[in-house]
Amino acid sequence: MTDKADHSRRNFLYVAAGGLGAVAAGATAVPFVGSMFPAADTLAASKTEYDVSTVVEGQLVVIQWQGKPVFVVNRTADMLNRVKGHDDLLKDPMSQAIDAVQAEWMDTDEKRIYRAIKPEILIVVASCTHLGCIPLFKPTSGREDWGDSVPENWAGGWHCPCHGSFYDLSARVVNGSPAPQNLHVMPYKYKTDSVVLIG
Amino acid sequence: MIEKMMNTRLFHWVDERTQLGSIIKSQLTEYPVPKNFNYMWNFGSLALLVLVLQIVTGIFLVMYYKPSAELTYGGYTVAFDSVERIMRDINFGWLIRYMHAVGASAFFVVVYMHIGRGLYYGSYKGPRELLWIIGVVILLIMQGAAFFGYLLPWGQMSFWGATVITNLFGALPVIGEYLQQLLRGGFAVGDPTLNRFFSLHYLFPLLLAAIVGGHIHALHVVHSNNPEGIDIDQEKETIPFHPYYTVKDALGVGVFLLGYCYFVFFNPEAWGYFIEVDNFVPANNLQTPAHIAPVWYLTPWYTILRTFENKLIGVLMMGGSLAILFVLPFLDRSKVRSARYRPVFRQMVILFFVSVVVLGYCGHSAPSATLKIVGAIATSVYFGFFLLLPFVHKFEKTKPLPEGI
Amino acid sequence: MKEVMMKSMRLSLIAGLLLMLAPAMASASGGGALKHTEITFDNETLRKGLTVFTDVCMGCHAAKYLTYRNLMAYPELGLSREEVDELRGDKGLLEGLITELSPEDATESYGKVPPDLSVITRARRGGGNYIYSLLTGYESDPHGKVEDGNYNAYYPGNRIAMPDPLAWFEHDESETADLEEQARAVSSFLTFIGDPHQLERQRIGIWVMGFLVLLTFVLWLLKREVWKDVKH
Repeated sequence: MTDKADHSRRNFLYVAAGGLGAVAAGATAVPFVGSMFPAADTLAASKTEYDVSTVVEGQLVVIQWQGKPVFVVNRTADMLNRVKGHDDLLKDPMSQAIDAVQAEWMDTDEKRIYRAIKPEILIVVASCTHLGCIPLFKPTSGREDWGDSVPENWAGGWHCPCHGSFYDLSARVVNGSPAPQNLHVMPYKYKTDSVVLIG
Repeated sequence: MIEKMMNTRLFHWVDERTQLGSIIKSQLTEYPVPKNFNYMWNFGSLALLVLVLQIVTGIFLVMYYKPSAELTYGGYTVAFDSVERIMRDINFGWLIRYMHAVGASAFFVVVYMHIGRGLYYGSYKGPRELLWIIGVVILLIMQGAAFFGYLLPWGQMSFWGATVITNLFGALPVIGEYLQQLLRGGFAVGDPTLNRFFSLHYLFPLLLAAIVGGHIHALHVVHSNNPEGIDIDQEKETIPFHPYYTVKDALGVGVFLLGYCYFVFFNPEAWGYFIEVDNFVPANNLQTPAHIAPVWYLTPWYTILRTFENKLIGVLMMGGSLAILFVLPFLDRSKVRSARYRPVFRQMVILFFVSVVVLGYCGHSAPSATLKIVGAIATSVYFGFFLLLPFVHKFEKTKPLPEGI
Repeated sequence: MKEVMMKSMRLSLIAGLLLMLAPAMASASGGGALKHTEITFDNETLRKGLTVFTDVCMGCHAAKYLTYRNLMAYPELGLSREEVDELRGDKGLLEGLITELSPEDATESYGKVPPDLSVITRARRGGGNYIYSLLTGYESDPHGKVEDGNYNAYYPGNRIAMPDPLAWFEHDESETADLEEQARAVSSFLTFIGDPHQLERQRIGIWVMGFLVLLTFVLWLLKREVWKDVKH
């Protein structure tokens, strides 16, 4: 049969063929896996323009950005007041935990607390950071309007119906919620005084 | 390498519960294969490879394809738009789509070679009759899957191809009209047709996969024929499938991929043979293209259809030309298998191959008086082969068979 | 003896391929009647073709699968954001290049809706050469049946609804080279947008083929090596 020299040659060829075959299989997987990522047109459609002056004071509007819901809230002076004074109840009062809860323009404590370029207009991704449900807007304080679905010291904010997370009126997550982070802020800027470009 | 893998603890754990080890031994490392195969025996493994390629590329295309004939701007449809979106915007969509389109033709190339080999070397003869019959079922399902798939881009060829073929069934007496409506889901090819063809185009390959399993199982029971066509000593004249035929099949895969990738990357339309020019024109139910022909792999049977003046006879002959393959093992009464030792059969089978090629050529060309005659001759040769077969053994002087291989 | 089967198989294969190629060659050149032009995908040609397309063709035709964004995204075209913004006006980046002419108005003026040009070179035998021939094919009808401007030597049936877009029929000789270049550029451009990833495909293809040659060579060596065991 075969001598030893032959065996090493054979083993080398086996390894070479196997290696090249593995490279081929790996290279073939690239386009297939690649095709499952968002397509070029989907990526390009990832910007949304919105005129925030259409949101009445005190009102919340849900718009879409990249197929995801986004909250746009026009906060009243009273609502802005109720953002303050309960930092001890929040997991991340200054929105510093991860990149997705902060933005470049959050350069002062004030902006970190209001989480908005213009304090009255809050724009955040409307997906609960726990498992992605859309939290319910419960803006008035106390239990009068909401019954015992909210805590006694409720200062207004959001309540997620799926697993009971709470956020305050700056969409910051309240201690004891299953959600780990504040609602995310997405990149946006004001194109004109009232039109924002989201994404 | 296989030995090493079979010595791991994980393998033993699995083996104790599935007897995987003995399956690998009986089907692979100790499965006996005649040692004298030529390269014609490579096409079976290649067909399996292309089936896998088609299923995988198809699954990914389905993630973006939309089966809807709803009109969009410019006379296009949602379906056509989604195909163009795959070609333009989906990451590597162009590659996956071309792999699938070229793969359809490649599938038929290797399967036709595989069938031709079986014919020439008498692989259909006893004890492999059922193996052959399962193979014919595979061929028919493949042709069906290809036909359903061709409708999906909803171009002119898609639409009129489907119209013509569904009309064939309308030729059948009594049930024809109902059968036609059942296939189309309406009175003409339309949105419901597209949706059901899409559904069936997904179903058929899964059927194929199952039946191919049966085909391989049947092969491993009766074992392979060989170029000499003689029964061999299963001990002395065979070699284990692995490693000898795994490496030989791998070499075949390498050569095949060279050709396949040439077409995928440099010539996906193959001069209009794999993707027809008219299929880039959106389907229009009010205008038939100047010249319509099925894709090349269906053209031989299309010619047989066209040869007969009477519509019903044409349809029956076309069906018959495929159905007759089922009884081939019982038509051939000779005791010798391989054409190597059957001089008359050898001439006949070569003539048969030529007739199929000529039929294919005629079916692809625009009809003309000359081609009609050529097609009629080729059709008679095609059927003549089967009609003569039961009598060949009576006068054929076969050559002496070798003692061994 | 062993070779006979291979030989006969090979023969019928070759015969088959020749038979199949014959009509393909003929149809690829549209019966041999089309003019030939050099289809190129260099940036200069494609940009010139784009200009001809937007200035002339888009008066009536659309190319809906080519979006304004694509003009930036395909490196072969490589327009800047500013250029695209100027071109698109108030149209969205994701909108296709669509004509202002409504299908109803087109039907009224020309008797039919001008076809979308996104995949036109793929949908006509002869591809880019066909478009080129058409654009430079306006003549006087030798039989005098079709009025000037609607007679085209390369259009099937010769009576074309499209009025001479480049004003080829009445151009004087000094313009010939310029018009031919415009026709060539727009034919190249349309060939490009018909399959916008074709250059990328061929670039990748060269690597794939090179790799497969190597893989096949190694598999051939391995097969030979392993089969040394088998005594015939």
